Amino acid sequence: MATPISGGSVREVELSSVAGVAWPAPATTSESPLAEALRRLRRSTTALVGVAIVALLMVVAVFADALAPQSPIANDQTKTFLAPSWEHPLGTDQMGRDMLSRVIHGTRISILVGVSSVVLALFVGVPFGMIAGYYGGRVDTTVMRLMDLILAFPIYLLAIILMVMFTPTAGLIGTMKVTGAIAIVRIPIYARLVRGSVLSIKEKEYVEACRALGLRAPRILLRHVLPNCLAPIIVTTTLGIATAIIVEATLSFLGLGTQPPTPSWGWDLKANVAFIQANAWLALFPGLAIFITVLGFNLFGDGLRDALDPRLK
Amino acid sequence: MRVYILRRLLQIIPTVLGITLIVFMMMQSIPGDPVVALLGDAYTEEDAIKVREAYGLDQPVLVQYFIWLGKLVQGDWGASILTGRPVLQDVLVRLPVTLELIVLSMAVALVIAIPAAIVGALRQNTWADYTATSVAMIGVSIPEFFIGVLLLLVFSFGFSGLLPSSGWVYLPGTCPTMVCGVSLWGNLQHILMPALALGVGRAAILTRLLRASMLEVIRTEYVTTARAKGLSERPVVLKHALKNALIPTVTVMGLQVGFLIGGAIVVETLFAMPGLGTFGIDAIIARDYQQVQGFALITALAFVVINLLVDLTYTFLDPRIRYA
Repeated sequence: MATPISGGSVREVELSSVAGVAWPAPATTSESPLAEALRRLRRSTTALVGVAIVALLMVVAVFADALAPQSPIANDQTKTFLAPSWEHPLGTDQMGRDMLSRVIHGTRISILVGVSSVVLALFVGVPFGMIAGYYGGRVDTTVMRLMDLILAFPIYLLAIILMVMFTPTAGLIGTMKVTGAIAIVRIPIYARLVRGSVLSIKEKEYVEACRALGLRAPRILLRHVLPNCLAPIIVTTTLGIATAIIVEATLSFLGLGTQPPTPSWGWDLKANVAFIQANAWLALFPGLAIFITVLGFNLFGDGLRDALDPRLK
Repeated sequence: MRVYILRRLLQIIPTVLGITLIVFMMMQSIPGDPVVALLGDAYTEEDAIKVREAYGLDQPVLVQYFIWLGKLVQGDWGASILTGRPVLQDVLVRLPVTLELIVLSMAVALVIAIPAAIVGALRQNTWADYTATSVAMIGVSIPEFFIGVLLLLVFSFGFSGLLPSSGWVYLPGTCPTMVCGVSLWGNLQHILMPALALGVGRAAILTRLLRASMLEVIRTEYVTTARAKGLSERPVVLKHALKNALIPTVTVMGLQVGFLIGGAIVVETLFAMPGLGTFGIDAIIARDYQQVQGFALITALAFVVINLLVDLTYTFLDPRIRYA
């Protein structure tokens, strides 16, 4: 197999440097690395803006039912294409559905897919990377060639084919299918990242000491190696959520993501593109929702990266 | 150098084989029968058997793959199950559109990223730097299709339809069929918004990377030496700093090809362009195995060849890099 070519997402290409991120050395002997990182994070205005956006979105996603003025799927053919007003602050679409309610409920789908796909990829990719890096040799070659094969695909091409395989549907099952497709695409990113970190950590004296003490490999990996790989994993995960949200919106825009009537920003944008000449808001609001969400996670991720390793700033 | 290129060219073979084999297997596992799509609902089992035999669909998956591969080696990319047209012909008809889109969007990205990164790095922590980095952050957070929609709203539906919202006019000399619209100006009008939609996100990524590289390079001793020799700022920045800072950026540009191909699918769909992106997505949705294989093959080839070119660019940027 040739050198891994791509498959990483927009932001992952920037993360080659993040692989080297480690918990920062404490500025003072009394401060733990975590406290030091949190102090730096609190000092970064942009990171705090990111945290605020993410926190707000989480609240909207959790309390969508209470916050939305109407059901996101309630049609009213007498109220189609209404411009923004007090009754419908973001207007209504071609089926008379309240756009504000759809945007609010879309938050839930986007955040759910973004977070769960990354977590799923994390739970598969991290063990693969740890095993490959720790055991090396044939195990490493087999695991990493498999990962390289996935990485050799352009991310959208693989996600599109996977979604056609899974057959896009509406509701929770449809959301789970999108989550699965995005997770598969992202697994190699974590495997590569963690393998790189494990390769250097396993040579450290404390790991050697653990082996000398007779500790078994799983215990060494979970108790002593994994905690020292956490910094790059945290940064990649935060930025990865932003990428996953864009991929979900793109799949929905192509008609291969979560299917209607389940509210999805990408689908709403696609469905309303035909009407934007006369009703620009129809596409603007779902698009702005995607932008603000992705921006929030990107700002948060950047802030975390700077906090965990200020050399990368 | 020649040995290196030869070795890299040989490495293309397993990569392309791997990608096409996986795509082949994945397409076979997609629910639905392409024969039904071809014959419609009213068909007899006899008709279906004939069509399956004609396209080799009655064979085991691996046998089908090797039949496809055997034909490919002889230059036969197969024929579309749905239209009957040769896949290679369809790919060649659509390739110039996507190539033009990708090249121009990369040009857009570089035209925006290089000056923004230089200004950001040379005037670090000033309003100019903050503007460049903020705009770049916004750029990486907007999906291509939303940029496309915003451009449509401004330039197609605003400003009295300054730019066309869909369709395509070929560059003179690139018309693949007997009849098609050909005009340089018309082509420019049609490509401008798609190239901007696809290029702005790349520009944002490249700006962030190039600014970081420039910040690192302008603090190196050789840049200080160049300044100490009395060189004016322009050659110091452009010849000494930028050229070296471009090395990681070029790597990322190569990695971005995968994204540009993916982005092309979205942008071509939005602007109804007759490129490879729309060809690929239509083929995948219609389960036209032969067309999907053709799309996967051309994508994999573009991927590996462009990354090879990227590697070779290093030697120009840094003459110390030599491939044995």
